[in-house]
Amino acid sequence: MSDAIKIRGLTKSYNGKIVLNSLDLTVKTGTVFGLLGANGAGKSTTIECILGTKRFDSGKVFLLGQDSKKRRRNLFQKIGVQFQEGDYQPEIKVSELCEETSCLYQNPSDWKILCRQFGIGDKMKQSVKNLSGGERQRLFIVLALIPNPELVFLDELTTGLDAKARRGVWKALAALKQQGLTIFLTSHFMDEVETLCDEICILNQGNAVFYGTVEGAKQKCGCDKFEDAYLMLSDEEADAE
Amino acid sequence: MKSFFTLLKNETKLNVRDMNMVLFAVIMPLVVLVILGFVYGSKPSFDGASYTFMEQSFGAVCAISMCAGGLMGLPLLVSDYRERKILKRFRVTPITPALLLGVELTIYILYCALSLLTLSVVAMLFWKVKIYGYFWAFIGSWLLTMLSTLSIGMMVGGLAKNSKQAGVIASILYFPMLVFSGTTLPIEVMPKIMQKITSLFPLTQGITLMKNTFLGLGTENYIIPIMVMLGVTVVCTGIAVRCFKWE
Repeated sequence: MSDAIKIRGLTKSYNGKIVLNSLDLTVKTGTVFGLLGANGAGKSTTIECILGTKRFDSGKVFLLGQDSKKRRRNLFQKIGVQFQEGDYQPEIKVSELCEETSCLYQNPSDWKILCRQFGIGDKMKQSVKNLSGGERQRLFIVLALIPNPELVFLDELTTGLDAKARRGVWKALAALKQQGLTIFLTSHFMDEVETLCDEICILNQGNAVFYGTVEGAKQKCGCDKFEDAYLMLSDEEADAE
Repeated sequence: MKSFFTLLKNETKLNVRDMNMVLFAVIMPLVVLVILGFVYGSKPSFDGASYTFMEQSFGAVCAISMCAGGLMGLPLLVSDYRERKILKRFRVTPITPALLLGVELTIYILYCALSLLTLSVVAMLFWKVKIYGYFWAFIGSWLLTMLSTLSIGMMVGGLAKNSKQAGVIASILYFPMLVFSGTTLPIEVMPKIMQKITSLFPLTQGITLMKNTFLGLGTENYIIPIMVMLGVTVVCTGIAVRCFKWE
């Protein structure tokens, strides 16, 4: 199996403070990878460095086998992205935003089907700003999937969703994974991580404090519940200080 | 090409929905024309002139929409997209800055063209304005004036750190050019000293060229204004595309 994401020695600092410390990650094709950590642990910075929207100081990032800094246009034909704070043109309608996104790709998925699949099929004619928080969140997942990507980044994918909508999103993502999609996500919901992720990495102040499977994390800490294991691991360094 | 036209369609819809440019680039020039029409009617430009004051001012009124789009609309739109992180979202797609800027540029060209069309129809119908020079020379100078003005806007939008900064730069460019380059106030009615100062604005060069081609005043030097505007267009467009900031 090939690697959808390969990161070696990714380091970034802001004003002399290290926010990512020599991070190594490998995400295998067709798997779901979860990047976890408290607020400010460096999750979004990691995603932005991987995607090239932030510069990093040193290290290498390979996406779908390519150096992420080269031939970006070509690379981003096959990559979908949902940022934590997605924004949109004022006054734009759901259908317009989907169409605008769709037209940038060579082989896009049918956005109408995606909208229906994610439960916003009846909102296509509405203004994006009039959607509820949960609907907007689902719209941004739809936008990330429109490219018909091989690899998708979802930053806090289900924040703001109710329990039922979250289950719906999980189901849809599991189906896409079956078709070979690689998913890189961040989340604050441990049940979600446990359900979706094949492998996880826990960040604490820019350091990877755990890297492995959910089961592995539970075993390492001797916990039955993953949430306990997560708290134990992500607080490890803070407690030690 | 498909991307270009789909983006153009949707971005134009959004722009029209916003109404600002409809007002400042289409309706405002028309209002200025009508006011000039009521004040000067079909009076000759000066005693013994073969053309009317309206005919002399027509090129200048056409430049109002260029000012509105290039010095106000375009820089504010691009910097607003940057501040709202819409450009950041575009950055992780296959789009290029050139395509994105090209789409936005085309929208403002459409506004200018619409303005030219409405102004021509109204001026011809109500004040019998007619062109004395060469039609294609006038269209050429109109095109050059528009592209050079819009390219300034693209550069400002591409480089400004945020929409506040873009707003300040846009105002500094927009208001003096709008008032003093002959767009709203005809250059001919200004004091001589002011005419000298305003001749330094690139837009003034464009308006003079449009006026001369419209009236068929072929004796003036065409080369300098053409070179100035071509230079501005090439340099500003180059900077806008090369130094484009997504965030």
